[in-house]
Amino acid sequence: MSSRSFEITILSAENLRTNKTSIKKNVFVKIQTDGNGEVRTTKVNGEGGSYPSWNEKVVMEVPLHARFITLEVNCKATMGIKSVGIAMIPVSDIVGGFVPQNQVQFLSYRLWDSKVNRNGVINISVRVKMPEISLLLPPAINGLPAQGVPVTGKSSNAVVTGIPINWF
Amino acid sequence: MGNCFSDVPGGRAAIGGTARGLLNAIDAPNDAVDNFLRSRGYHGLFSQIELSFSASGLRDRDFLSKSDPMMVLYTRGKHGALEEIGRTEVVLNSLDPKWITKHLIMYHFEVVQFLVFRVYDIDTQFHNLDVKMLKLEEQQFLGEATCALSEIIIKSDRSLALELRREDPIRSMHSQNCGKLLVHAEECVGSKTTVEMIFRCSDLENRDLFSKSDPFLIISKLVEGGTHIPICKTEVIKNDLSPQWKPVFLNIQQVGGKDNPLILECYNFNTNGKHDLIGKVQKSLAELEKLHASGQGETLFLPTGGGHNSHNKVLKSRVYLDKFSESVQYSFLDYLSAGFELNFMVAIDFTASNGNPRLPDSLHYIDPSGRPNAYQKAIVEVGEVLQFYDSDKRFPTWGFGARPIDGPVSHCFNLNGSSHYCEVEGIQGIMMAYTSALLNVSLAGPTLFGPVISNAALIASQSVATGARKYFVLLIITDGVVTDLQETKDALVKASDLPLSILIVGVGGADFKEMEILDADKGERLESSFGRVASRDIVQFVPFRDVQSGEISVVQALLAELPTQFLSYMRNRNIQPTL
Repeated sequence: MSSRSFEITILSAENLRTNKTSIKKNVFVKIQTDGNGEVRTTKVNGEGGSYPSWNEKVVMEVPLHARFITLEVNCKATMGIKSVGIAMIPVSDIVGGFVPQNQVQFLSYRLWDSKVNRNGVINISVRVKMPEISLLLPPAINGLPAQGVPVTGKSSNAVVTGIPINWF
Repeated sequence: MGNCFSDVPGGRAAIGGTARGLLNAIDAPNDAVDNFLRSRGYHGLFSQIELSFSASGLRDRDFLSKSDPMMVLYTRGKHGALEEIGRTEVVLNSLDPKWITKHLIMYHFEVVQFLVFRVYDIDTQFHNLDVKMLKLEEQQFLGEATCALSEIIIKSDRSLALELRREDPIRSMHSQNCGKLLVHAEECVGSKTTVEMIFRCSDLENRDLFSKSDPFLIISKLVEGGTHIPICKTEVIKNDLSPQWKPVFLNIQQVGGKDNPLILECYNFNTNGKHDLIGKVQKSLAELEKLHASGQGETLFLPTGGGHNSHNKVLKSRVYLDKFSESVQYSFLDYLSAGFELNFMVAIDFTASNGNPRLPDSLHYIDPSGRPNAYQKAIVEVGEVLQFYDSDKRFPTWGFGARPIDGPVSHCFNLNGSSHYCEVEGIQGIMMAYTSALLNVSLAGPTLFGPVISNAALIASQSVATGARKYFVLLIITDGVVTDLQETKDALVKASDLPLSILIVGVGGADFKEMEILDADKGERLESSFGRVASRDIVQFVPFRDVQSGEISVVQALLAELPTQFLSYMRNRNIQPTL
């Protein structure tokens, strides 16, 4: 396994500006990681102005050696696409922080424009998608008691295939 | 002379009833305070009052158009200092504004509460800007009025008209009359049900000359005495005779009940502030629900003629409801009664800035006569309020900024002296651990909050990992001079995604400016040195000297933000208080 799946939801951005005036419309976000060439973009937000919201979920494969996920807020104008601001999110914020894996984390980052001035904030939520196998572990996440399905088969002579929990 | 131009895009925005306002319901009644006071037998001596405002005959300060008024509400404190409670929205080009933003205020039966109202003409561009960010000194002052809250309450229709005045520097003897302000008070009955509605209109009349109408809706409720008070306004849709507006969220409490009549008015937006009515209809929420179920439209009418012989002209225009759904917004107490636990943690400042504990002027001085010092007072008074909401009354308790015997300076040590566990039993336990720790450590420095916050965050994250339904509150009692402001911010930003709030209580007379920075109420969000921004406000700062023992205001000051912070965590994650 050389990569992890991140489920990134681009929620919204706040207080975006270009040349000190607030942005009218047509803002979208480009999501990249430094480990591979994968690029994702959100839909263009038509009306949100300086406070656009997308609520768009993207799933990205992030290589284990990747250090950053880069979010770039762009504005589509008549003159072409213009970069509004960039946020570099250290992968360590997502996998190495206080919050246990597989939990949704709500993160906000400062955006910096091309002249390295502060330009608004972007809000996202991230969940590291765990490999299928580990989901077989008791679901203690929601605080509910683990509910197992009782083995009812009386004549069950078949071999049970499974992976010991300690195997990982 | 002011700016001649009004901010038209700002005037087109929706006010009240938007989804954003619903989620960060700062103005929602604080049920944590309510519940605590009831438990202490203060029943009926206080209530939450909702104030709504309108004005007439304001001075015109703009050159080519009319003033764009905004009202700021203050309370006058004990020493005459004004404290801002809130601001209304800016009404575009109007000398007789009816503001939609309401303000909640706690009415204390036993205290005279003076209110000060100031009206400003807003010249700056306020579109896309929080009204809280407007600098009042740059705006034009239109007038001021004062009254006691009880004066409004005792009126039979609960409305009080006040003369707005403005001190004239030249003719200082006379204060000019600058119009009237009407304040209406209503007692809040908390309701958790919120209705989401999407309105659509068809065949609206055309009122603009060169283009189509620019319609928006105003929803008002009828109150005793026949007046109606606007509760929300949709955004303006340009050039559309069959508009569909963004969802409108109304709380049943705002409306006053499902059968209370509401007035829906559709206006054509005009930049000069004279919006023309293009149709209205009166319906209660229950009737609106039926309207949605039937899928039929309701015909709008237009009142024609004035006085008694007014009759309504029925129009071709119709209003439809594309969505009507009720949802329950759970309150803080709902979560607690469903088994969510609050857990308090305590951290006490043992830095040298508190003064030598053997000298009487030290904040840590233990008086042989038994008179409590500043820290003991804070522990008892704050603890008493907070432990009411703690489920097991066991508190992890730490000290910071001191040197334990023969050790280096520690920025987070267990107050009970144990090296394994940090919990103590009850307020008494904290007090005992505190006095024994004072004897066993020597005060040092610097004042670092980072380690304590990280420790608390670790406990909170472990609880998330095991799936416990817990929310943590770290109480830091300090004399206020923090050395590691940036590290503290970093720790706070990192912890902002956890079920954790931090309540900082400042003792002594130090300058608490830095603490106010940490408490992100003033609009700016905390930012870490790595560019991460706090996803929500988790800090509340309360200077203890402002808090008078035994008064209701202590409870209010301490519990002011906790329910909102708690709810913002739960609602962000869609956690429901299921039993």
